[in-house]
Amino acid sequence: MISNLTSSERQYALLIAVAVALAGLAMAALGRSDTLGVHGVIVMLFAGVVIYLIMSSLYGPEPTEDRAVSYYDDPIKVGIVLSMAWAVFGMFMGVWVAAQLAWPDLAFDAAWSSFGRLRPTHTSGVIFGFGGNALIATSFHVVQRTSRARLAGQISPWFVLLGFNLFCVLAISGYLLGTTQSKEYAEAEWYADLWLVIVWVTYFILYIATIARRKEPHIYVANWYFMAFILVVAILHIVNNLALPVSWGHAKSYTIWPGVQDAMVQWWYGHNAVAFFLTAGFLGMLYYYLPVRAQRPIFSYRLSILSFWGITFFYMWAGSHHLHYTALPHWVQTLGMTFSVMLLVPSWASAGNALLTLNGAWHRVRDDATLRFMMAAVVFYGLSTFEGSFMAIRPVNSLSHYTDWTVGHVHAGALGWVALITFGSVYTLVPALWKRERMYSAALVEVHFWLAIAGTLIYVFAMWNSGIIQGLMWRTYTEEGALAYSFVDSLVAMYPYYIARAFGGLLFLLGAVVGCYNIWMTVRSAPLAVRETDAPVVPAAVPGE
Amino acid sequence: MPELFHRKLERSAIGFVIAIIAAASVGGIVEIAPLFTIDETIEHAPDMRVYTPLELAGRNIYVREGCYACHSQMIRTLRDEVERYGPYSLAVESQYDRPMLWGSKRTGPDLARVGGKYSDFWHVAHLTNPRDVVPESNMPAYTWLARTTLKTDDLPQHLAAQRALGVPYTDAMVENAARDAYGQATPDTDFSSGVTERYGDKTLVSAFDGVTTHVTEMDALVAYLQVLGRLTGAAYEDTAAPEKKPDPES
Amino acid sequence: MMDFDHDTLVALSKSWGLFYLMGFFLCVVVYAFWPSNRKRFNRAKTSILDRDDKPWR
Repeated sequence: MISNLTSSERQYALLIAVAVALAGLAMAALGRSDTLGVHGVIVMLFAGVVIYLIMSSLYGPEPTEDRAVSYYDDPIKVGIVLSMAWAVFGMFMGVWVAAQLAWPDLAFDAAWSSFGRLRPTHTSGVIFGFGGNALIATSFHVVQRTSRARLAGQISPWFVLLGFNLFCVLAISGYLLGTTQSKEYAEAEWYADLWLVIVWVTYFILYIATIARRKEPHIYVANWYFMAFILVVAILHIVNNLALPVSWGHAKSYTIWPGVQDAMVQWWYGHNAVAFFLTAGFLGMLYYYLPVRAQRPIFSYRLSILSFWGITFFYMWAGSHHLHYTALPHWVQTLGMTFSVMLLVPSWASAGNALLTLNGAWHRVRDDATLRFMMAAVVFYGLSTFEGSFMAIRPVNSLSHYTDWTVGHVHAGALGWVALITFGSVYTLVPALWKRERMYSAALVEVHFWLAIAGTLIYVFAMWNSGIIQGLMWRTYTEEGALAYSFVDSLVAMYPYYIARAFGGLLFLLGAVVGCYNIWMTVRSAPLAVRETDAPVVPAAVPGE
Repeated sequence: MPELFHRKLERSAIGFVIAIIAAASVGGIVEIAPLFTIDETIEHAPDMRVYTPLELAGRNIYVREGCYACHSQMIRTLRDEVERYGPYSLAVESQYDRPMLWGSKRTGPDLARVGGKYSDFWHVAHLTNPRDVVPESNMPAYTWLARTTLKTDDLPQHLAAQRALGVPYTDAMVENAARDAYGQATPDTDFSSGVTERYGDKTLVSAFDGVTTHVTEMDALVAYLQVLGRLTGAAYEDTAAPEKKPDPES
Repeated sequence: MMDFDHDTLVALSKSWGLFYLMGFFLCVVVYAFWPSNRKRFNRAKTSILDRDDKPWR
């Protein structure tokens, strides 16, 4: 990996790592009586590992081949591995917190392992750790292949990837230590947020610069989605996380948004994180890996353009449907509801476009579990966007809000759509990246597929049941006009579903473990593919160089 | 015309970026801009007081432990919620809340008006082991709260930060923050009289965890829980924003 | 921003927000269905299936 960097690039990378280590030192010194100090030490350790890796081959031989004639795949490989590692971590945390809801003593009477602290480690672990690394890795792959250009930087891809993982480590270790903003899906504290801004701006510049290297004037549609993802997430992240630290020595900060404004900003962020992190980016994956795997062009390119702008435009208005019947002004609620319903149009346009692409290749869907992962992902995408629009309708929301139905909906999207499209893309990508003919074991991909499907269905059905039962119990009246059930009655009714949900999650986790093993074995032991198309057909193109 | 325009946009990636911003951010601006002036429409609650240092510290523990993951603090304008939890929440009630803790999930009940519903003793027993009080509960036990001394020395900084953001803390409140945190958990001392002097007679001064020798995190969290829904009486008054009072039946 | 009063902002949001939305979509539809774009869209569609696995220069 480092052997592909020139010695001046290695020195430059070393300089950045030392700067990060110094920042860690400053944090450790300023926050010595606070969790900020612990995080300073973690930053130093992280930077220390990077420094060690660079130092160990600082004076190694210069790269010999001409790097401009090949794609830059090293950061993508590491990104895929990190993504799978985070998947196992995040999903394990999910199973653990799910089990705690059924058996609360599984917190073992420690502060760090109580539900409230573990829950964000699960959400951040899967969304940012698993999803984020997968997005970074696949976006690096897609932008290079569709632009026919090498990444516009040697160190910056590493900075983006490792910097992002440092953010994930800070965020998740912070929750365990009790350092959190308690802003849903944006729990990380101010210094981690600032760091992410630096990383993200680099990511954005790198992506734009790579696209600028292309020859074809048109930008392939998958890149549109990745660009929207990078850009809008930056806007969301900055606005939502504006905060005033108690002091430079405190990890704790107070958000600048009070009360109702904070609620609106928070859900504007929260909903658009779903839109641009968990939808746009993964649609980018879909529009590249699905046609490539099926070996068929996308059904309608025009439709993909229309749905792109539809999604980019409509989602931004929809966040307030999280705040129906609350102290938020009524007109904002109505606006959110209307646009949430309208969102169904571009969402189903995308889903339909993907399914019609597969039309005529159903035999491949039947035989190839990797393609089936993507097909199932599209079906779940269609289902959960329909469900989302439905739940945004005010009277429906009065029943579903605050219940497990929301949790079920989120997981129909997160497990069924995000995770399945990622696994499908990863199984397409891994053999291509490591230049193998195919995955180590097609049977294990098949096993993973069925574990994932079974896990998702069990999970989602359990949560639908529990959510609707819960919602109905809360609003059931006796004939005398009194509330029929106490809150505890509704809780007791949940236990069987909480156990079923934990079991569904466990199956999904096992699937991810099987996937990790399969990827590992593919990298380790599968024979090198001998494909003519992979051999560089150079001479005619570069006689002078 | 739009055709030529788009071709230009496509040629340079930057143009495309601007188009995405134009499409995406307008929705956000349209929705959020009016909220910057929302203080013009928020109900007024002249009787509303700020959190005492002990309550603020308790709130920060609530934040730290991620209680919002299972408890909402937002009673919706629905009949069953109003009957179960009390008057629906008003925007003004969370005007000093940073972050807001409206929540999104009720694994446990809503806490917007839990203040005063149970005794301090009940809360301490419940937090120490919820199943001692509610056998069916699946809430984690927070045994360490009563063992952990509350960090009070930096409370003036916390209040100062809040004041910088617009919460009306006075100089005396900031200066005496650590003292007041101690005083609110030790009734009938010189320290406690300062609390009622600065925050009002209705401020609940109590030996929350039953021990007055030192202030624990349990004291702070219980003090916070006991003040929830009681910073202002606005929600109990019919005059609160009568023109926009929603129909609780719908 | 604070110079505007709340009602003005709400009115702006409710009217111009909508016009903006419709205008934007008109442009997108025109672009997507502009006849001369058909060729480049078709090229983009199939370009990713090309097996050539190296940068263009």
